Amino acid sequence: MVKAKELLQDAVGETLLLLANEAIARAVLEAGVRLVALYPGTPSSEIGNSLTQMAPHMENFYFEFSANEKVAIEVAGAAAVAGVRSMMVCKGPGLNVAADPFLSLAYVGVRGGMVIVVADDPSMWSSQNENDSRYYALMANMPMLEPADPAEAKAMVLAAYDLSEELELPVLLRTTTRVNHTRAPVPLGPIARPPEHVVFKKEPLRFVPIPAVARKQHPALLRQIERAREVSEATPLNFVTGEGEFGVVTSGVSYNYVREAIEALSISAAVLKLGMTHPVPEDMIARFLEAHPTVLVVEELEPVLETHLRRLAQLHSIDVRIVGKEQGVLPRTFEFNTRIVMRAMTGVLGVESPIDWDAAEERARSVRDLPPRPPLLCPGCPHRATYYAIRAATRGKAIYPSDIGCYTLSIAPPLETADILFDMGSSITTACGIARVTGQDVVATIGDSTFFASGLPGLANAVYNRHPICLVVLDNRTTAMTGHQPHPGTGLTGMQESVPPLRIEDVCRGLGVEYVRTVDPFQPLSEVVAEVRQLVQWVRDNRAPGVLVSRAPCALLTAAERRSTGVFPEPYYVDVDLCNGCRRCLNRFSCPAMYLNQETGQAAIDPALCNYCGSCVHVCPQGAIKQGGV
Amino acid sequence: MARTGITRNIVVTGVGGQGVLTLAQIMAQAALNESNNVRVGEIHGMAQRGGHVVSFVRIGDGALGPIVDIGTGDVIIGFEPLETLREISLVRPGGHVVMNTHVQYPVAVSMGHDRYPSEAEIDRLMSPFGVEVTKVDAMTLAQKAGSPRAVNMVMFGAVLGLGLLPFGVGTARAVVRSAFGGRYEAINSAALDLGVAAVSGGS
Ligand SMILES: Cc1ncc(C[n+]2csc(CCOP(=O)(O)OP(=O)(O)O)c2C)c(N)n1
Ligand code: SF4
Repeated sequence: MVKAKELLQDAVGETLLLLANEAIARAVLEAGVRLVALYPGTPSSEIGNSLTQMAPHMENFYFEFSANEKVAIEVAGAAAVAGVRSMMVCKGPGLNVAADPFLSLAYVGVRGGMVIVVADDPSMWSSQNENDSRYYALMANMPMLEPADPAEAKAMVLAAYDLSEELELPVLLRTTTRVNHTRAPVPLGPIARPPEHVVFKKEPLRFVPIPAVARKQHPALLRQIERAREVSEATPLNFVTGEGEFGVVTSGVSYNYVREAIEALSISAAVLKLGMTHPVPEDMIARFLEAHPTVLVVEELEPVLETHLRRLAQLHSIDVRIVGKEQGVLPRTFEFNTRIVMRAMTGVLGVESPIDWDAAEERARSVRDLPPRPPLLCPGCPHRATYYAIRAATRGKAIYPSDIGCYTLSIAPPLETADILFDMGSSITTACGIARVTGQDVVATIGDSTFFASGLPGLANAVYNRHPICLVVLDNRTTAMTGHQPHPGTGLTGMQESVPPLRIEDVCRGLGVEYVRTVDPFQPLSEVVAEVRQLVQWVRDNRAPGVLVSRAPCALLTAAERRSTGVFPEPYYVDVDLCNGCRRCLNRFSCPAMYLNQETGQAAIDPALCNYCGSCVHVCPQGAIKQGGV
Repeated sequence: MARTGITRNIVVTGVGGQGVLTLAQIMAQAALNESNNVRVGEIHGMAQRGGHVVSFVRIGDGALGPIVDIGTGDVIIGFEPLETLREISLVRPGGHVVMNTHVQYPVAVSMGHDRYPSEAEIDRLMSPFGVEVTKVDAMTLAQKAGSPRAVNMVMFGAVLGLGLLPFGVGTARAVVRSAFGGRYEAINSAALDLGVAAVSGGS
């Protein structure tokens, strides 16, 4: 990651090598944004990671890691209503969480500029689905911009604030993984200074959408979006480049693949590149369709632009061949690349490709059957010990609703403790549904960040409706999966201030949970197993929710701490005189720091990978795993 | 102010924790410092946690998108034999593979559930791709430099030593020096030099 110091420098014209996420963080400084609120989510996470580093050094700037996305958009939306520039950031599914206030925000509008950054994830590199957030712009009638690369991402944030203030509407900046996680040269611009305070001017008949107000706002919003369309017709963010009979309409990262494909195929084509994709420049598109008998639409995921084109062709009675997803020429799933675009173009135009893709694909198939190397819980991860205990205590027979975080990796053998998952917070609520209709033991697990983000309403529901569920909260003191951001249980804020943390046990008791206990997953595993057994028994006997908080810091935090202090525990090793090669440790615990010594048939520990949690000591029936100087 | 006429496509592949992203970033910075256009394609999140990690570095005016697709890579820098083989289809015929020979078993293999391909099998599987392969014992050299974590810089040195990048060792050294602080700077600089030396002067 680029250091905050570099992102903060007042050096107009300097060019830095930045991820689009870092470029967006820099744009916050250049646009004079007063407040940013977000909940982390890959591929958008580095925006918050950069801002939290920058925030204490920025003038009149406030940054927070909010409890979740709905909270974040409300905090940021209100700041913009009050009259300052604000931003909210989330991953695609995060906008689903924030959808309710998102739609209202378009009705009430804003007085200061507001930008909502949503990062979609075609190919689902780190997401539970590949939903196409562009539909939200259509549903809410909110203007939307889509950058193709990091430099454009920064420029578009600045343009989005101007647009937002001109129209008094929030503006959606929609990115995708291959924009967020591309690093490219980005020139720095001048820094702007936000105001320290503004006065909230009351205007309840605008900002309180009771039906009488909202009925006026909906037609007004449609008038605004018509104004936005006029902006879209004229903005330099929408432009045509190149010329030829063959037309291409594209947006976002696909624009790069289109240009590379045209270059590689040595064809002439006119490309309509849309930077403002809602509202689309209808007249401009109609003119483009009139001028090009064949038009290929290149966009990842849903046929959003393609549908607009077909609609406009019909509306204006234009005789044009529009090619895209409807004919299956381009896929509706997963991310694109230059090859996919080249293959679509060669198919449509009947030209030769300089690269023999069939041969390349054939060769690729010859090395498909390799041992996989999936992501795993780290060596020394506290989640592994907790799940081992849950599985042992319930003999693998309970139902295990899971949630979203590193711990979802427990789906893999041998832990296999993830049975159902919808979205963040669903562990508790799906447990309720299952427990109610099956009568089986249900042991749900949820991470600490997820607990505060979206676990609380589900827990209140479980208590009040007396659902007999066991809930184990995996408190590793951080939001590990997305890069170790703080949350309300950690005691650190986005401004890097120390505050009193919320205690999960207190929260559960406050919500009326009668059974709340705490365990350290690194105490001898038999004791952890006993704790889980006791929890399950209590829930069976009392037919109400019970909570066990399993608390130990993420192994990466512990390892970083050790590196900074230079104090390391004695190493763990397998005593070759005691190990009988039963492989119980490998088969049941599967810590990536352990391996089978192929020559001796005994287990062994890689000292370079071991994180000194010591849990494996209790897994070995022979007592062969020991700590100390060998 | 060297401007490369053509686009150089480089793939860095390895295991989470080996410093794939760090090398990609340093390589791109060095290219930018010599006034080249660059793009780096990274994947964060689930891809880490000890899993397979791949990153793309594209240098030259033609580099617009962040992806190196199958059959279009000029160089693959592989930090581990199996992970090199996994991405071998990205390299174009006539391209170059620089591979660390140090093996890191995936969990299925270390648990005894799967089999790691032998060196001969790996060579055999790579041969249809028509690439030139240079093997480097980067782990041994990294340890010699002072840390097994410096494998990525040994590999960087080897690729530079083979003349596969559009910038020189001097530029690379300067970026490595400014990227690492304190003790790590010396280790990484030493690793870079050992990598360069490993590929120069015959077999
Ligand atoms: C709606 C939504 N917002 C954000 C994310 C991104 N995300 C993935 S896991 C996670 C939380 C991880 O923290 P925690 O629950 O503490 O588990 P850990 O990874 O630390 O084990 C987040 C925010 C998401 N998947 N969905
Ligand atoms: S990052 Fe932390 S929580 Fe995630 S798998 Fe590793 S040790 Fe476990």
